[in-house]
Amino acid sequence: MEQHHNSETRTPLNSVAVQRRSKTKSYRLSYRSGIGAASRLGFTPGLTARRLNTSRKAPKSNNITEKVTKEQLALLVKTEWKLSYVTPLYQFRHTQLKSYSRQLSAFIAAEKQQGLAVDVEGTQNRFRVSFSLVQEMTESVDDAVTVFIQIHSKPLIVRQDEPQRPVWSGWLTCINGNLEYLRSLPKDFICLPLFCSSEAGGLTSVVKSWFQQSFDCCFGPLEISHTSLQWLMALWTNCHPESSIRQLKMIWTLPVEPQLQVTYTVNAEDAWQLWSSVRKENTAAAGEENSIDIEEVTSFMQGLKGHFFRHFRLDLSAGRLDEVSTALGSAKHSGRIKFSNSKYMITTLMLLTECALLKMPI
Amino acid sequence: MSRGFVYNILFRTGIVLSVYIRMSLLKPFSKLPGLNAANILLVECEEQFQKSLADALVEETAVTVYVRLAKSLPLPKENEESRPRIDLVVFIINLTSELSFQSAEASLKYLDPGYLLGKVCFMVTNARNASVPTERLDAVRKLAAALHCPLLFAEDQTPDGVTYATKRLLSILKVSAGLVPMATALYLSSLTSCTVPPDIDQPSFD
Repeated sequence: MEQHHNSETRTPLNSVAVQRRSKTKSYRLSYRSGIGAASRLGFTPGLTARRLNTSRKAPKSNNITEKVTKEQLALLVKTEWKLSYVTPLYQFRHTQLKSYSRQLSAFIAAEKQQGLAVDVEGTQNRFRVSFSLVQEMTESVDDAVTVFIQIHSKPLIVRQDEPQRPVWSGWLTCINGNLEYLRSLPKDFICLPLFCSSEAGGLTSVVKSWFQQSFDCCFGPLEISHTSLQWLMALWTNCHPESSIRQLKMIWTLPVEPQLQVTYTVNAEDAWQLWSSVRKENTAAAGEENSIDIEEVTSFMQGLKGHFFRHFRLDLSAGRLDEVSTALGSAKHSGRIKFSNSKYMITTLMLLTECALLKMPI
Repeated sequence: MSRGFVYNILFRTGIVLSVYIRMSLLKPFSKLPGLNAANILLVECEEQFQKSLADALVEETAVTVYVRLAKSLPLPKENEESRPRIDLVVFIINLTSELSFQSAEASLKYLDPGYLLGKVCFMVTNARNASVPTERLDAVRKLAAALHCPLLFAEDQTPDGVTYATKRLLSILKVSAGLVPMATALYLSSLTSCTVPPDIDQPSFD
């Protein structure tokens, strides 16, 4: 995004090429007109104009099970994924997956020879990589198809009846990415900003360096901020009437001398009652698609914190929310996500894609 | 505008309570200033950064700096008589804790509106921390901009950071205490007050 802004300022104002990006250009103009001349020096406007959406559509149980096959879904749920953001990939073709698999396995073998620590049992294993596409896991037409990568280890002695369990798996995805941004990318660039990897030590870094070498992209850690965790709490609680969340569990860390960790578990029914009482005011024009505002989310959170304070005299605002988990999944502040139920995955992924796009430096 | 903001809060709390609050307001001009002296009040909920700042502030030699520390306002009534005139009130907000911001906001009610003419400053720490949601910094910015106060960013973990923060506070303090000729607190605050970009509330996407 920074690059585009710079190139915008150099083109003349009445050039036709700038028209397409008029919305982002207007951000820059409005910012400059509002502040005096002194602030124009050395300020990077791109950094302040980045916020999460303040209102979101309530999640519906997408019929994802109809679109994506059961086996592919089974690969995605029930594992804890570590999140990173990826900048757009240059010349990544969805048709050349086989050659990418071969290249990646050769790369891993080369790295092993160089002595890079890849901690697998036995040093004589070779690796077989498979790239696959998860079709139909997209929300809008402009999203690139999700790419799923698996690495199996090939022991020298293969027994026929042993099922091949993957040593490492990961996937790149983009769900409902910002349309304007996707269209403003130059051709040859594919945007798959969210990268999820299962933890297996050295293999993740090897895969990342292969991607960086082949497609000229950058990886970076993606944390789930406090606001995003609040959104996930609200969105998951909102799904309670359709599929029970069983309980809403939060883990807070308080900054006291021996560090205090608080696990705050709320019964699903009570969480739903609190949430519906917060939403009550806004169901006036109730239609199918109700949008949830950030104020409702913050008042939900305030209610939970106030209840805790009344009983324990501990204000949770002084601490940090580390983890949120329900029967639908769990999300950790350090950037780990787990889907336990495939029904509401799409909405969660939409939120995470937005976070990844916001954190990306371009 | 800034006066209206503080008075609004006072009127909302009811007549009797507003009288009570008025009595415990910190007033800027009710006492005489000292000779070649400056008094600064550091208000911080966590009470950590203010200690290292205070140690660095008192080392100033050109002016005698008296530093007072508080966790929140209102200040205790017992010291009311012996307390000198406070020239600058600094609210230190740690962005990693939401409680810090809420406590600073609550303390603002006990400040006489006269302070908002350049004798209040906001200092924010941990702004670069990755765990800080952007909304919190936005909220602090909006608060500082609404009150026309400067907003300083400080690094509290390294001694260099404390030194830089001290230097900036001293320059504002000297003006607020009237020790700089031809410069007043109101003049300085109109130059250095925080501004928010007009599109601060617009989400990046959609």
